[in-house]
Amino acid sequence: MRTTPWSRLQPATEASASVRMCLQICLVMLLQAPAFAQPPGPPQPPRSPRAAAPVDLTGYWVSVVSEDWRWRMVTPLKGDFAGVPVNAAARKVGESWNPAQDEAAGEQCKSYGAPAIMRVPGRVHITWQDDSTLKLETDSGQQTRLLDFNGASKEIQAIPSWQGFSTANWERPPNGVEVPDNFPVFSTRTGTRGRSLEVVTTHLRPGYLRKNGVPYSAQTILNEYFDYHKESNGDEWFTVTTIVKDPVYLTGPYITSTDFKKERDGSKWDPTPCTAR
Amino acid sequence: MGPDTLHSPMNNPMTPRDPLLLKPAQSLVGQVVNLRRVGNPPAEAGKTPPSAGDQPARRTSSCPTSSCPTSSCPTSSLRRHGSLAASIAAAFLALPAFAQIDLTGEWAPAYHEDAPERLPGPELGDYMGIPLNAAARLRADSYDADRISVVNEYQCRPHSSDYGMRGLGNLRVWREINPKNQEVVAFHTYMPAWGSERTIWMDNRPHPPDYAEHTFQGFSTGVWEGNMLTITTTHLKANYYRRNGVASSDKRTVTEHWTRHGDFLTVIVVENDPVMLTEPWVRSENWYLDPGQKLSSFQCEYQPEVPAPVGTVPHHLPGTNPFLTEVADWYGLPREATRGGAETMYPEFRKKMSKPAVEPPAHCERFCVCTTLVDCQLHGR
Repeated sequence: MRTTPWSRLQPATEASASVRMCLQICLVMLLQAPAFAQPPGPPQPPRSPRAAAPVDLTGYWVSVVSEDWRWRMVTPLKGDFAGVPVNAAARKVGESWNPAQDEAAGEQCKSYGAPAIMRVPGRVHITWQDDSTLKLETDSGQQTRLLDFNGASKEIQAIPSWQGFSTANWERPPNGVEVPDNFPVFSTRTGTRGRSLEVVTTHLRPGYLRKNGVPYSAQTILNEYFDYHKESNGDEWFTVTTIVKDPVYLTGPYITSTDFKKERDGSKWDPTPCTAR
Repeated sequence: MGPDTLHSPMNNPMTPRDPLLLKPAQSLVGQVVNLRRVGNPPAEAGKTPPSAGDQPARRTSSCPTSSCPTSSCPTSSLRRHGSLAASIAAAFLALPAFAQIDLTGEWAPAYHEDAPERLPGPELGDYMGIPLNAAARLRADSYDADRISVVNEYQCRPHSSDYGMRGLGNLRVWREINPKNQEVVAFHTYMPAWGSERTIWMDNRPHPPDYAEHTFQGFSTGVWEGNMLTITTTHLKANYYRRNGVASSDKRTVTEHWTRHGDFLTVIVVENDPVMLTEPWVRSENWYLDPGQKLSSFQCEYQPEVPAPVGTVPHHLPGTNPFLTEVADWYGLPREATRGGAETMYPEFRKKMSKPAVEPPAHCERFCVCTTLVDCQLHGR
């Protein structure tokens, strides 16, 4: 890379090094000192997932189809597996795709299951069903996903379904310790504050990753990460990274990330039923 | 459920290190863009090129006690504090071990989105998913793929930092530490395609004035927003958004959001280009950690491939490009959708778009299993 004169600029951080060290010493000593002045208070109940939410994902969001246009906005041609790490068994199933057969069997929603639904063009409406459950509804296919923050502690007896059973949590930093970004240790602590929604979905009814019959099996495990970002023009977005793991039909994780822009209201909400074609 | 449970190779039926996992794309040496119309891929395509070996570590060396000037070395500075330093060290040992998101390492791209566009190259006239304006569309329509073969200056034109994340994207990330205060000064990245090295400054330095030099990698600064690294890049040279003539301007500003989830890296790229786009263009790409990845060096030499008089620039005048409808007809798409534009990117466009102009093929015929570079080239047609 060519360097420019600007790359030689040095920030004025070293001049205050000794002052910073003194401050750090004082702060560390304070942190280690017992708090004599205050009596211990009653133990605080843990905050609910809703109260602890680091970002607000509620509202109406539209998927802006800037990627995979010809595999999402129209039904791809039969036998088009491009981009999906399928194995021979999956290709065999895909080559036998028959939408009329799916319609006759009442399985028009096979391409609207949790592993595929976030790639379906449309809008999603996210609300808190209660303090520990996020509800994600789609207008395309009229699906409802429940993201259960208490799911990990529940004994799952769910019947396999298109949307499966989803356990959610606010993603923790790598070692599970929350640290303020500017915690005054010797170097600034950065990137430590988890703010992503992490979802794991199991108990899925077999379906299609794409509308043209690229299959996923009942053994599929779906990992998702919802990341919120706000842009310089004020637009709010979330991007969901979707990782599909299917030992039956995939040679490795199938990874996509889908971008949603927040809308003011639900005026463009357009419920439409599942279609097989 | 927690990160350890989710990402442990023991608990996941498949992890990025599974031998059956998607194969990292083979790097291409000296390959020019848009292979489809400039001839067959070079013989070495698909073979692992001779490795240049790992690059030497770029991290600024830590301050050795024996040679570090007393006035600037934190170790010596601590020594001056004598026993107080030992107390402080003891205090730190009592604190929990904090960790931060670590973006450094070797990352292999997952080409699970738009694979045929990113690997062998886009079809001519494919502007799908791009909010381009009329001027950008007209310019793209004038593109002739022979331009690369005839105009030498195009043959080794580097990928800009924003396109590079979308194209052949094997990636190395490392950080530079200021030995005097242990602050992260910058992240650096290296991508074998066009040997692109990039610096993302993390020390709050300002962007240069508008008149400063523009480069293919641009000038990047980063800030942390929680676990997300947000990068702003300016001073980019004009380049392209897609390797079929869709151009980017040197007036664009690029915002990126990097997040790591376990062994996966997601990079959201937001293009703001007042010259070529009608609205910000948001896309996202994915990588998986691949510690064993060995990146190649990159050589590119100018080589006239098609005889032409000096000064020839292959092009199509407005309304004369015969290839623009191919992509729609090959894949059974509405022709107006392939022309791009913001309107075509929203779900409601599906209700107004026309039917394909010609009867779609009954079965996929092109790049049907294209997921890795090898797959794409073996089963291209």
